[in-house]
Amino acid sequence: MKTDALTRSDFVPATRTGSAHQISRPSLSYWQDAWVRLKNNRQALASLFIVGALFLFTVLGPYIWTQSPARQSLAEISQPPTLGLRALVVDGAQTIAPKAVLSASLETLAAPHTRGVALQWKPIEGAQGYALYRNEVEPSERLDFGLPLAELKGAAQLTYQDRLNLEPKTYFYTVVPVSQGEEIGSRAVTLEVDVQLALQENEAQSYVAEAKIGEEIRLPAHPFGTDYLGRDMLARIIAGARVSLSIGFFAPIIYIFLGVLIGGLAGYLGGRVDMVLMRLTDLVIALPFLLFMILFRIAFGVGPGESGIIPMVVALVALSWTSSARLVRGQILQLRESEYVQAARLLGAKTGYLLLRHLVPNTIGVILVYLTFAIPSTIFTEAFLSFIGMGVVPPTPSWGSLSDDGIKTFLTYPHEFIVPAVFISITVLAFNLLGDGLRDALDPKMRGRE
Amino acid sequence: MTHLTGKNRLFGVFATCFGSIFLVSGCTTEPPKPDTVTIAMLAEPPDLNATKATDSESFFILGHVMEGLTRAGSDGKPSPAVAESWEITDAGATFTLRSNAQWSDGKPVTAHDFVYAWRTVVDPKNASEYAFILFPIKNAEKIVSKKAPVDSLGVLALDARTLKVTFEKPCGYFLSLTSFATYFPVREDFHQLHGERYGAEANTLLYNGPFRLTQWVHGASLKLEKNPTYWNASIVKLNAIQIPYITPDLSAQLNLYKDGKIDLVSLGKNTLKTAMQERFKMKKYSDGTVFYLEFNFAEGRITRNKNLRKSIQYVLDGEEFVGRVISIPGTLVGTSVIPTWIAGKNGLFREDYPIQSVKPNLALAKHHLAEAMKELGLKTPPTLVWLTGDSPGASKEAEYFQNLLSSKLGITLKIDKQIFKQRLAKMSAGEFDVVSAGWGPDYNDPMTFADLKTSWNENNRGRWKNAQYDELIRKAQSTTKNTVRMDSMAAAEKILLEELPILPLYERSVIYTQSDWLANVGRRAVGFDPDLTTATTRDETAKN
Repeated sequence: MKTDALTRSDFVPATRTGSAHQISRPSLSYWQDAWVRLKNNRQALASLFIVGALFLFTVLGPYIWTQSPARQSLAEISQPPTLGLRALVVDGAQTIAPKAVLSASLETLAAPHTRGVALQWKPIEGAQGYALYRNEVEPSERLDFGLPLAELKGAAQLTYQDRLNLEPKTYFYTVVPVSQGEEIGSRAVTLEVDVQLALQENEAQSYVAEAKIGEEIRLPAHPFGTDYLGRDMLARIIAGARVSLSIGFFAPIIYIFLGVLIGGLAGYLGGRVDMVLMRLTDLVIALPFLLFMILFRIAFGVGPGESGIIPMVVALVALSWTSSARLVRGQILQLRESEYVQAARLLGAKTGYLLLRHLVPNTIGVILVYLTFAIPSTIFTEAFLSFIGMGVVPPTPSWGSLSDDGIKTFLTYPHEFIVPAVFISITVLAFNLLGDGLRDALDPKMRGRE
Repeated sequence: MTHLTGKNRLFGVFATCFGSIFLVSGCTTEPPKPDTVTIAMLAEPPDLNATKATDSESFFILGHVMEGLTRAGSDGKPSPAVAESWEITDAGATFTLRSNAQWSDGKPVTAHDFVYAWRTVVDPKNASEYAFILFPIKNAEKIVSKKAPVDSLGVLALDARTLKVTFEKPCGYFLSLTSFATYFPVREDFHQLHGERYGAEANTLLYNGPFRLTQWVHGASLKLEKNPTYWNASIVKLNAIQIPYITPDLSAQLNLYKDGKIDLVSLGKNTLKTAMQERFKMKKYSDGTVFYLEFNFAEGRITRNKNLRKSIQYVLDGEEFVGRVISIPGTLVGTSVIPTWIAGKNGLFREDYPIQSVKPNLALAKHHLAEAMKELGLKTPPTLVWLTGDSPGASKEAEYFQNLLSSKLGITLKIDKQIFKQRLAKMSAGEFDVVSAGWGPDYNDPMTFADLKTSWNENNRGRWKNAQYDELIRKAQSTTKNTVRMDSMAAAEKILLEELPILPLYERSVIYTQSDWLANVGRRAVGFDPDLTTATTRDETAKN
């Protein structure tokens, strides 16, 4: 039957009647897709902003907030946050003459300020001497007069000058008569004194060059208060951030790189190499970090009073790469056997192409997530080591050493501990939330599940 | 209050659970009569072997449970204790022991117990760190350095109640030594019986003091109870001293005090404010300790340079340092290694031999530094290793000096913070340029401070050596003539102030608070502290 024979006309290409497949959404690369999903995660986005702000704070901080973190201002020890106190410039060496006639039973001799409070009192009958007390709360019937400042022997001693760590606040001074070695609290005289912040002339001139005695000057602001030697907390937090964040950032990058290299080799090459490298990993996991940290300090010849930062980073790098190596090895093992890699290999792809095109890009998400979790834990490690005195040395602050200093005065001056602790907490939390967000965003299996 | 030991603890918890139902009413109706003082200790005593003890915790317990020939009163002066009378000459001393002094097992305390104890202290086998305090006794120093047999020590029991001491050379302050813990008696048979365990447990120690240790749970608690066999038991008003807490943390101790768990607490700089807010009544006393900077004189150390030391002296403003950095009321600016409170010829040593305090002078400091750099051949100001303790106060002081020296003189300080034991080891090994240290008195005589820098003193950590100074101290140590002794010590002190092997910083003062009912607690510089022997309730004081 030849009538059914095919003719040339039967082989005309069909005309397209419309597209069968249409890309309904814009084409997105892996990273664009991840970014879209990260943007939808509000927590992660906020954390990203915080992390960015922290980096700006650390890098630009010292140029904007120019107070020195090492400058001690003994007039402003442990002051709560202020926007710049007003201080009187006084002559510290001035001697104050006693008055001939007193109008009250206990008086201040000159305007009371933090460089000295001069007191004079009328003789109390029967007193063979006087005991002086200073309190921050008004004494009650319990005769709680506060700090025992001095005992003055002899009834003729009727003046006293207090110079003991005065703060700009209200004090209650009490003079107690002493008779036959016993203090007679019932006959004590108390005076309320408002003490003004004052600086000696040469101290004041280091702030305002032409400050003169009797003038008032404005001291620099301390938005986070000052520490136990009158150093500005904000400046110390910025200086501490440089230490804490640079260790927290660079140490994980180095050790994760090392981990990727070792894990990648073990996973890709497999066999004997894999066995050896993984047993090495097991060995390193078994090594105690703190002990090695101490050993490295000795091996590096870190002398007394020298910074332990380098051995700390070395110990971190040498001992922390293991989990990232295991993680990457597992990924590579899985990918190596996956169909598309097999296909690529069959089609003649070379090792370098396989690694760069298939294996590394498909593990990078996992590595990135691991990095965002490693950073906060390293910041924590640094803080912990500086807290126990194995990290930075004074005068260099780090957030850990600031917390260590602050916790000693926590009950009396809580801001010295709370400020660095809040910074550590916020940083660690932000990095952790960002890591969570990244993990969700970078995992292709999570696509469309939000 | 009951205290549970080791194995009984678990059982005790159950017992309390069931028992409490019946006990509640009994506990709450009547406040307990305050005849027990409860305190917290900073650390547990390592052991209570008086021949070896070196720390203040051991001395505190030993001072309450044992007694020497004399007992230091609140003024630091020795008063009769086991010895009822004595006679002291240039050649030696004879003590007559009281007949009613007893050990806690009822046997009398005899002169032989002292001979045995002192021989044990100087015996090289015992290696007591405090053996040097017996050096005024004949041959003691030779025995320690193995140049003489132990039984050649210059102490003899003439009979059970007569003790004869021969001096190496005349010793004007021997009597004040005899109240020190290292001079306490030890009974031979008991010591031999327990050997190494002597003083390690409550039941391996014999007591002859106002109290006896009845319970010692290692790492947890101690309990002292009134000793009925003490010869002077009538002066002891307390029934017991409880020590249920051992913590070095003063804030924790303050919290215990706030909760009414302890009756006595020392206040640190950081707890003073809390104490004011809580309306505690505060008291202060001088614990006698002098703090100073000690410079290293080992070969090759730049701190050998006198101009360098002078420049540090002139840059320091003692008033600012004490007022702002130490800031404990009553702390005195240090002027010398011999503190102001110590007794001299008649009154105070310092009143007999006043010294000028050095005023800070930045120009002079810079001048001395320039001279020092010229002499040392340095182009830039030097770097110094600053050894210090690990307490909050110590690091604060160190950071103050670090900033002071770098901002005013350009000297760099490397701060070497160490725990107490490690700091002592480093001090002995000479691994420092400057060390901040303190010295508390062992007995009430200027000599306890004045001989600190002699070439033969182990505590001269800087290994400074000055023949003239050594000579003067030797002279003071070999006479009982008070004027000669005091004059020589004052002359030796002048050399210290001129040559500056140490730079005095401050004399410590301690602020403390105690329960309102508690009275007559002895706080003092020399001897154990606090002294609770004669502590009473406040109303009993009123009756007297």
